[in-house]
Amino acid sequence: MADTTTEIPKHDVIIVGAGPAALTAAIYTTREDIETLLFERGVVGGLAAVTDKIDNYPGFPDGVEGLTLAQDLQKQAERFGAVIELGEITAIHDEGEYKRIESTSGDMHARAVLIATGSDYKKIGVPGEQEFYARGVHYCATCDGAFYREKKLVVVGGGNSAVQEAIFLTRFASHIDLLVRSTIKASDVLQQELQEYVDKGKITIHLNTTTDLIEGEDKFVTKVTGTKDGKKIEFDVDGVFVFVGLEPNSEFVKNSAVLLDEIGFVTTNQDLMTAIPGVFACGDIRSGATMQIASAAGEGATAALKIREYLEGRAHPIQN
Amino acid sequence: MVKNITIFTTNTCAYCQMVKKYLGAKGHTYEEVNLDEHPHRQAEATRLSGAMTTPVTIVTREDDSQEVIVGYNLAKLAPAVA
Ligand SMILES: Cc1cc2nc3c(=O)[nH]c(=O)nc-3n(C[C@H](O)[C@H](O)[C@H](O)COP(=O)(O)OP(=O)(O)OC[C@H]3O[C@@H](n4cnc5c(N)ncnc54)[C@H](O)[C@@H]3O)c2cc1C
Repeated sequence: MADTTTEIPKHDVIIVGAGPAALTAAIYTTREDIETLLFERGVVGGLAAVTDKIDNYPGFPDGVEGLTLAQDLQKQAERFGAVIELGEITAIHDEGEYKRIESTSGDMHARAVLIATGSDYKKIGVPGEQEFYARGVHYCATCDGAFYREKKLVVVGGGNSAVQEAIFLTRFASHIDLLVRSTIKASDVLQQELQEYVDKGKITIHLNTTTDLIEGEDKFVTKVTGTKDGKKIEFDVDGVFVFVGLEPNSEFVKNSAVLLDEIGFVTTNQDLMTAIPGVFACGDIRSGATMQIASAAGEGATAALKIREYLEGRAHPIQN
Repeated sequence: MVKNITIFTTNTCAYCQMVKKYLGAKGHTYEEVNLDEHPHRQAEATRLSGAMTTPVTIVTREDDSQEVIVGYNLAKLAPAVA
């Protein structure tokens, strides 16, 4: 077989993604002088960068803006020599000592790969959702909320993200209808905060309410129709923000030997190694992850230390 | 050849930072219209982009033709400013 390793660039570690998990791992690997290249197809800082305020990341008693945390993590990783390339990884191939990575910048080889690709917003899958995307249907409050000053909105979802983002959107919107399919699942702290906005008349909660149809005029959203307690309910609004959960960014490993759980999250052993030796996963993309920035950062640190052991030939056998 | 670039942004928009960083890294200067500071220009951003989102990047070439890039989309932004 041709020695392709001489033909394409070689790296010690390639990290897929540049969210909190990836950037933390890069801080650790580069401080150990392990050459590390990160690939980011979206925003450096991942979902943390598009979150308004983070109140539960340790070390920030007054909370921290997501964008600030993301920029500081990037600075810290770059200070030790991490290189972030803007582009997408499209496939991973196990070629033994070196893994071959396909990317929008061409093929590369890496001795170890860390998958830290997190997840993306789930769609609700109702008529009008795709048609009015970015013209009344949105998934990022910090990106698009400012377009709804003194306008009426629907927010769909009942988890932490939906409640947190609905509260953020009250900065702009005159009123928000929060459509919750069953009951609110957000944390007690967030629910208490939400109640303050309900009491002020800024947010109205609709439990047991599905979102069925998004309609508009002149290319922009004007109405959302749902079903509440079995009856049709209509909302004349200017926009809809959807926060109904996340789906894993794992499509690029689907044809590889990396194993996924039934939802599509990457399975690992206790050393965060996937079914391919030398390919690790951490953060939100890992099956069983707790979907928090602090835990993503923690897993990033663990993965980096396990990668070092692997590169030094001290890795434990895989136990998938 | 690029004559000028205008970016519509907001304070909290992380993707706006990515566009600015990309253009900065490629040595381009640009005019930034922050819609939190100039909310009256929101309608202009929507008219140009057909969308209610930021970033919106308007690349004007020497022949005055314009390309509008909605969102952080390197596949479109990179060739538009090349
Ligand atoms: C609205 C909202 C509010 C939240 N609030 C909080 C909070 O208050 N506190 C908290 O602790 N957590 C919060 N979270 C969760 C937190 O943001 C995530 O747990 C954390 O960002 C996970 O980090 P990560 O690095 O694993 O993944 P991500 O942050 O998702 O980063 C993954 C990165 O990988 C990139 N990527 C994906 N595929 C590829 C590819 N093929 N090639 C190149 N790059 C790729 C993505 O573009 C992304 O930037 C919130 C989440 C949301 C959605």
